Amino acid sequence: MKRPTPPQLNNINRVAKRLVGRHESVIGRKSVKDSLVSLSGLIGAPVKDQKGFTIGKLVDVVVRNGEETYPPVSGLIVKVGPRQSFINGARISQLTQREIILSSTKINLEEYTQRPGESLLDGDVLDHQIVDVDGLRVVRTSDLYLAPLDREIRVVGVDISFVSFMRRIFPMIFRKPNPSHVIDWSSVASLADSSGVVRTSSSRSMLSQLRPADLADLIEDLAGREQEALIQMLDPELAADALEEMEDEDLQGLLRGMPSDRAAQLLARMEPDESAEVLRDLSPEHRESIFSVMESKLASQLRKLVAFDETLAGGIMTTHMLLMREDDTVAQALDLLVSNRGRDVSDGVVIVDERGKLIDHIQVVELVASKPGAKLSTLIGPPFPTAVNVKASIKDVVEEFANNRGSSIIVIDEKGKPVGRILADDLVDTLASEQEYRGVSQGSGALS
Amino acid sequence: MSESQKTEAKRKSPLTSRRVRIGAFLAVMGPGIIAGLSDDDPAGITTYSVLGAKFGNQLLWTLLLSTIALILFQDLGARIGVVTRQGLIGLVRQKYGARSGSLSALALIVANIGTMTAEFAGIAAAGELFGISKYISVPLAALLVSFLVIRGSFARVEKVFFIISAVFLAYIVAGFLAHPHWSDAAKGMFIPTIPLTHDAIYLATATLGTTLAPWGLAFIQSYAVDKRLTRDDLTLLRVDVWTGSLLTGIIGFFVIVTCASTLHVDHISINDASNAAAALKPLAGALAKELFAVGLVGAALLAASILPLSTAYSISDLTGRPAALDDRLSEAPLFYGAFGFITLFSAVLILIPNASLITILVVTQVINAVLLLPLLIYMYGISKDKKLMGEYVPSSFMRGIYLLIIAIVSFCIIAMLWFSFH
Repeated sequence: MKRPTPPQLNNINRVAKRLVGRHESVIGRKSVKDSLVSLSGLIGAPVKDQKGFTIGKLVDVVVRNGEETYPPVSGLIVKVGPRQSFINGARISQLTQREIILSSTKINLEEYTQRPGESLLDGDVLDHQIVDVDGLRVVRTSDLYLAPLDREIRVVGVDISFVSFMRRIFPMIFRKPNPSHVIDWSSVASLADSSGVVRTSSSRSMLSQLRPADLADLIEDLAGREQEALIQMLDPELAADALEEMEDEDLQGLLRGMPSDRAAQLLARMEPDESAEVLRDLSPEHRESIFSVMESKLASQLRKLVAFDETLAGGIMTTHMLLMREDDTVAQALDLLVSNRGRDVSDGVVIVDERGKLIDHIQVVELVASKPGAKLSTLIGPPFPTAVNVKASIKDVVEEFANNRGSSIIVIDEKGKPVGRILADDLVDTLASEQEYRGVSQGSGALS
Repeated sequence: MSESQKTEAKRKSPLTSRRVRIGAFLAVMGPGIIAGLSDDDPAGITTYSVLGAKFGNQLLWTLLLSTIALILFQDLGARIGVVTRQGLIGLVRQKYGARSGSLSALALIVANIGTMTAEFAGIAAAGELFGISKYISVPLAALLVSFLVIRGSFARVEKVFFIISAVFLAYIVAGFLAHPHWSDAAKGMFIPTIPLTHDAIYLATATLGTTLAPWGLAFIQSYAVDKRLTRDDLTLLRVDVWTGSLLTGIIGFFVIVTCASTLHVDHISINDASNAAAALKPLAGALAKELFAVGLVGAALLAASILPLSTAYSISDLTGRPAALDDRLSEAPLFYGAFGFITLFSAVLILIPNASLITILVVTQVINAVLLLPLLIYMYGISKDKKLMGEYVPSSFMRGIYLLIIAIVSFCIIAMLWFSFH
């Protein structure tokens, strides 16, 4: 479910991002700036030997994606006579906008086959979608720039401007590349790689600083293959957070487009209520194929959640909660809370009796204020938590929230056992989408 | 709220989602039906009517051929969209570079402006049948369409437009009531003959251009991408595409047959909409005019609401950045620019004094046919790219068929140019 950010906040975020965690950019260095070579202008340029004899024409440039921020050129694809050959990057003696001069006259003409981790700048990157991490948007590359850096020729910059795009269509009108449009390669994430695995550490760390909601927007804007590539690049936890922020329809499409085991991995890391929500929308066969490759405990938990009607308490609850017994100590409770931080359980622990029935919910504040060795039983007492039955309607849940003013309520089954919790924000999401529906169907001005 | 209600709520409110969802506008109909409707719009009906009135059943085979081409290329577009999950224009830029991308976008924009102009011509013609000046009906329609689309309330009225435009199904009944020579129709359908005159070649090309409209090709692909359809959905999508395309062919067939057995027999040539409407007299009698006018308005408004949006979507696709209806003007200048320009420009074209609406309706379809060619060639090129299409690369037999269709389209264009200059 989407949680839109106010635009001002977004801007602050962007500015903050520019200031924090910024890689040192090389595009500003004079030595680099003065030797920038435009890729689109280079394609088709003559490739010559030391004596100035033209061997062939440049078809494409191969780069090696790896841990380095600026991928080095590993070779050239050159059209020699009727066939295309690969020339190792080490043989390049000079690379200028007009021509490429090779150091050795002996050319070992080998047929090029793309290896994992390599990408073709013209074939895979130019005109393809990339993520402009600074600008938080998906764009197509209009041009790429090469320059010598650390004894190798590398991709240092990218141009995403419309003007540069026009320059390629009408080279005679827009002659000169404009360096002010060149963005440093370290601030974009390229999604091209024949193997589908991109290991550019710099773009990975750039991306990891984005908010999940921003990442969700980026994922939604990408085409199928690029979506997969971006998700692969993210830390799995972050990827799951981003997926939770996606529109239901988009997330559904995304999961349907990927193999069941990949989908299962991602769903496993999402909050159970969010996973259940999207699983509910998938076809029963697809759902089962995902469950079948999932860890069985999680699968059965999600199966239960999916089975609940979305208009009932069980349908919107999360099953994340920490169950403890009266005999456990405060220290144990705090340890458990710490080891589960980051999930939606941080506000306390739920105490159950030997038959699993709900006794109390103890807040973090109460735990912190008590002696570590104290038994949880000593903390039991009013106010007792609000509980609703799994089959309670959303309206009842809202009433309970309104009456008790808490940040969460506990959901119990017929036997009085806690099965999940409803957090205030989940309820807000549910009500917001209901509101949305009403707004639209009655044509009231709620949204328009 | 049930799940279906909820997804419906999301689907029906494009303002709640960040991106433009073409699919959102089609809650009721399948995309194949919509793409098919592009041919039962005022331009299609008029072109088929003129063809039937002028040449009787003789050129029915051009419709048959166009319908087969429509089915095959719509089907291909659906497949490309589902497999690559990218729009046509973006894909062309990615595979063939900046120039090809721009060329295909330009072809699409020009074709769509033409088609949009034809939609407004339909409105103007309908207005005139009711005695309303085009200087009132066309600006009103342009405003209405922009309002509906930008406010996102199109979903609420699309059904109404759809039902209104279904008036053209009346041609099927009219066709039977006009007692056509069925054997003559069958002969025209399966034995290809053509008078070697400019008019005949010209109308054959227009038939091709209106049936296999460029925007339909880009549209079906965007739809598949936008709706996040996957390979599992392909069968359903293909059923829809085939149904829509066949429906187009069937309606087209009855329009031609009806006009052949009424207007052609009576030697009435179509100079304005009232002539074309006369073909419905066997069915509707004195009300033929009104019936025809109502159909024109419904079909025109339906297509005119989707066309500029679909075009703007393709342009955003070229720059690689899906645009959004709730983006502000400053955030998506290209998108709004394209949307506004297409609507305004085509409405203004219609308002040129003394412009013949029937001529505009047919000429735009001829232009469609010409602009179709680069798009078909790019689609063919994309379809056989193993890297993009994987196992969905068409067999060499199908590739041969695609090439044959491209050759026929090229031949039509060359023949038409030849006759235009001789």
